[in-house]
Order: sequence, then C-alpha cells, then structure tokens
Amino acid sequence: MTRRRFGWPDLLFGGFLIVVAAGTLVATRNLVGGTAADMGPGYMPRAIALMLLAFGVFFAVRGVLRGPVGIETVQLRPILGVGAAVGVFALLIESGGLALASFAAILIAAVASRESRFFEVILFGLGVTAAAVLLFVKALALPVSIWPW
Amino acid sequence: MELFDNLLLGLSTALQLNNLIYCLIGVVIGTAIGVLPGIGPIPTVALLLPFTFGLAPASALIMLAGIFYGAQYGGSTTAILVNVPGETSSVVTCLDGHEMAKRGRAGPALAIAAISSFFAGTVATVVIAVLSLPLAALALKFTAVEYFSLLVLGLFAAVILAHGSVAKSLAMVFLGLLIGTVGIDVNSGVARMTFGIPALSDGLDFVPVAMGMFGLAEIIANLERPAVRQVVSQKLRDLIPSRADLRAAFPAMLRGTVIGSALGVLPGGGAALPPFTAYALEKKVAKDPSRFGKGAIEGVAGPEAANNAGAQTSFIPLLTLGIPANALMALMIGALMMQGIQPGPQVMTEQPELVWGVIASMWTGNLMLLVINLPLVGLWVSMLKIPYRLLFPAIVLFCCIGTYGISNSAFNVWLMLGCAVVGYFFIKVGVEPAPLLLGLVLGPQLEENFRRAMQLSDGDPSVFVTRPISALLLLVVAVMLLAMLSPAVLKTRERALAE
Repeated sequence: MTRRRFGWPDLLFGGFLIVVAAGTLVATRNLVGGTAADMGPGYMPRAIALMLLAFGVFFAVRGVLRGPVGIETVQLRPILGVGAAVGVFALLIESGGLALASFAAILIAAVASRESRFFEVILFGLGVTAAAVLLFVKALALPVSIWPW
Repeated sequence: MELFDNLLLGLSTALQLNNLIYCLIGVVIGTAIGVLPGIGPIPTVALLLPFTFGLAPASALIMLAGIFYGAQYGGSTTAILVNVPGETSSVVTCLDGHEMAKRGRAGPALAIAAISSFFAGTVATVVIAVLSLPLAALALKFTAVEYFSLLVLGLFAAVILAHGSVAKSLAMVFLGLLIGTVGIDVNSGVARMTFGIPALSDGLDFVPVAMGMFGLAEIIANLERPAVRQVVSQKLRDLIPSRADLRAAFPAMLRGTVIGSALGVLPGGGAALPPFTAYALEKKVAKDPSRFGKGAIEGVAGPEAANNAGAQTSFIPLLTLGIPANALMALMIGALMMQGIQPGPQVMTEQPELVWGVIASMWTGNLMLLVINLPLVGLWVSMLKIPYRLLFPAIVLFCCIGTYGISNSAFNVWLMLGCAVVGYFFIKVGVEPAPLLLGLVLGPQLEENFRRAMQLSDGDPSVFVTRPISALLLLVVAVMLLAMLSPAVLKTRERALAE
C-alpha cells in the first residue's frame, strides 16, 4: 500500500501546526509588532507562530522520513453523532429552552453508539432531561428558560 | 508555632458546616467519576467550574480539590474489583490488587488501598503545610523577570515529566500559548485574532477547550472501541486485613508516601508518575520480587499511598507560586481567577483562610473518603452496571449545559464542539492535549511578565540570565532539556512512564 509509506501521525500533526502558524501570521498581519523593549500586540502571537511553524516543519519532515506508521481508521458514526448532538444543543438552547435542547441532545448522541436501544433511550432521555432541569435550573439557578414559550 | 496557627486557621475554615458539605459533595462526585471509566476528573472539574462562581472561594476550591483526590480512591476500587482502572493513576493497582481479589482477598485489598490512601493523604497534608511557607516567602521576592523564568520552568517541567513525546508536548504548549493570546491585548487595547467575533474579545474560555478536548474527544474515541466490561461479583466477607497484611503493607505505605509527596510537587508529577515509581521501588526492595503481579499486598499499598500523596502535594506549586503542576491544577487556577483572585505567591498572605482551609479540608476529605468508601463499596461497584451506551449521552449533555452555563453563550458550545474535533484529531495522531491546557492558562501571565521584564530591561533579554534566581531557574530548564537528549535518561523515562 503506497499510503502507508509515511509516518502519518507526525505528518498530519506537522501539517496541522503549519496551517495554524500560517493562519496566525495572516490574521495578525495588521497588528503592530513593536520592538522587544516596547512590544506591540502582534509581537507575541507572531513569535509563537514562528515557533509553531518550526515545530510543524520538524514533524512534517520527520513524518516523511520515518515511517511507515498508519493511524487508526476514523469511524464516522461516533464523531458525527456526538458532534450533531452538541450542535443541535447549541442551536436549540436559546430558542427552544433547556428541556427541548437536552432531550434532543440525548437522542442524537445515542445515535453515536451501535448499542443504543430505541425505547430505552427515549425513557432515559426523559429522565435525564428532568434531572438536568431540576439540577441546573432549580438547584444551581442557571439563568436559562426551560420551555420554548 | 506559626505552622500550628496556620493549620488551626485552616481547620476552622474546613470544619465550617457549609465547607464540610462542599467537601463531601466533592469527594462523593470524585469517587463516582473515579469508579466510572470514561469520564475523568478534568472534564468533571471543568463542568462544575461555572457553578462554583456563586460560592465563597474557599468552598469552591475545597469542593474541586475533593473531586480530584476522591477520584483516586474511586479509581482504585474498580481497579481491584473489576480490573478496570477508573483513572490512569490506578493502572498499577490493577496488577496486584485484582490478583488479590481473584484469590478471594478483595476485602483486605480494598481496605489496604483505602488505609494507604488515608495515611498518605494525612502525611501529605502536613508536607504541604510545612513546605508552603518557605516557598511562598521566597516567591514574594520575585519580580517579573523571576516570575517569567518560573513560568517557563513550570511549563517545561510539566512537559518533560508527563507522558508522551517531549517534542510533541512542547509543540502543544506553544499551541496553548498561541490560543491564550486570542482576545483584546491588555496593554494596547487592540483585538488580536478575534476575527470580528465579540465573544472572543475576552479571550478563549478554557472550560469549553478542556471539556471538548478531554471530555467529548475521549467519548468519541471510546465509542470506536468495542465495549468490554465484566463485573466480577465478589463477596466481601472480611474487609479487615490481618495483622500479617498490615505488617507487610506498612513499610510499603511509608515508602509510597515519601515517593508520592516528592514527585507530586514536581510539575507534571500529578497522578501518573508516583504510583508507577512506587511500584517499581517495591519490586526492587522486595525479598522475593516474583510475588508481584500475583497478589502482593505491597504492590497495592505502595502505589496507592504514592498516588494519593502525589495528588495532594501537586497543590503545593499551585497554592504557593500560582503555577499549576498539571492540567487539572490549571483548571484550579481558572477557578481562582473566576473568583477574582489573581493566582500567585501573594495569595498565601492575602487569603490565608483560603489556602489553609483548602489544605486542612484535604485531611477532612480523606477521612470522609475512608468512611464512604469502605462500608459503601458495594454501592460504588454497582454503579459500574450502568452501561456506557447510557452514560455517554448524559456526559455529552452535561458538558453542553456546563459550557453554556459559564456565560450563557451558545458560542461557547460551538467552541467546545470545535475543540472536540481538534481533540479527536490529537488522539488520532497520538498527541497529549494536557500541555495545551497548561499553555492556555499560563499564556496571558507569561506574556504579561515577559513584556514587563523586557520593558524593565529596555529590551535586553540578558536580564533573564544575569539575575541569580532567574538564571538558576532557567539553568534547571536547560539541564532538563539536555538530559532529555541523552539516550540513557530517555530510556529510563520511557520505562518509568510506559510500564
């Protein structure tokens, strides 16, 4: 397999650092750098970004030279399920209230696991939603509405 | 005696009814998450942070600290009974503890683990009390120059002593520092890297970052592995260890406590290093090393004492210098900052009842743990019967609510989601996220002190090596880095951390 030639973990991590560093340098291009004695707001971010760039290049090169190391296959189901649950919660919490957002998050998160059972999740979701409302709104006084209306 | 005055002051704070209750809540939650694999103290503390806002500073810290050392107790219970280490710190306890359980000696193993932890916790409390004063006194002499060097030492030491590749961890520290610069620059009032998002002008909150990278990313990775969990039903007939057990365990307990106290103080020492080191030592001093791994009681007592002592003494750098020894202590710093307390050596003199109250609460907390763990052990083990398929959606939900709760902003929830994806990526490429959190929390202080130091010296960086204390601190950093390049040290470190 040709894909296995590189040390993928190092190469990907190095690439990630290079992208972050480059992004930082672009995002801070308009900030004043200043001198060492009188640093401007751009001094530290740029200095750190250059360090990251160096690390990134180091890992990327090491990844190309050393190998072959693969990474575990990414399974889509867990990451999509958990991700969607969090996303839906963020969308619903302000307009839909805590009860709706919680119930939806539990149901969607359960999709992330193959072992989830339909009725069990519904019952469990109702229970946890009630517990969350009692705990966070009643006991801990989180200022959030419970219902959409 | 100043020491006794301080401890008395601490006890009077810790013994207040409300603080006792918060301590109890902390250790109960801690034991619970220690028992449950799949959720560790870091996301739990991050989750509870927003809700400590309304408490008095001492109560907040007492509760959060209780979660941390309570998790060590809970972790060892499941390690012994089910061979599942609830926390990384109890991995070693599995080796001999579970062997003992298999031979029908689960009761004594649990009792010895709890007694060792309690003994170590008591000693560590005194160690903290003794060491805190001189350290804080020294730190009060620090200027921006020394403080910067100290922060550098803290960050480097945390990276070198923790597990994982040093180069990758260093890169993660810098990544954390970079994220820490997001927001409005204090000196000039200019927004940096906020991309026009108003929610970013105060900087990135570390709670969503911590929950995303430690909580959610872990869940996603856990879901990819097939679930294996077998609960061993053990009859716990006699909890009380025999006299021979106690005699064999006591020296190991003492050695473990010494090792744990010493390693816990070091940055990065935290939870993983002390028990491994203690186990290795017990094996070395034993007359018959072949007993280890087959139910040797010393193999339970030593590591258990070490991990508890280490968990507690890792508060020393935090309380005296304002430097977190590990990612969890970084969250504690966050808790202090949320209370409007600037962490640093001045906390000790300005808030004595806070510092000593937290120290004294560790002793009361350990006593509570002894009581709630031994008689109620069956209850904790039955928690393991909650299947992960139900547990994880609840954790996901609580992470969402907790993140939202910090400042009632849905933005933080999105941020957590982003961090979860990045954290999952880090797990896939084999990078530890803990150094990033340290960098993020310490970043603003580091920049502030660096800028102030450079202003004082008129832009001359040699000031860091001409001031004696600062030079010494940086010398330690240099020696550590050079030592890491030597293959012999590297090998020992690998063995110590990966055993």
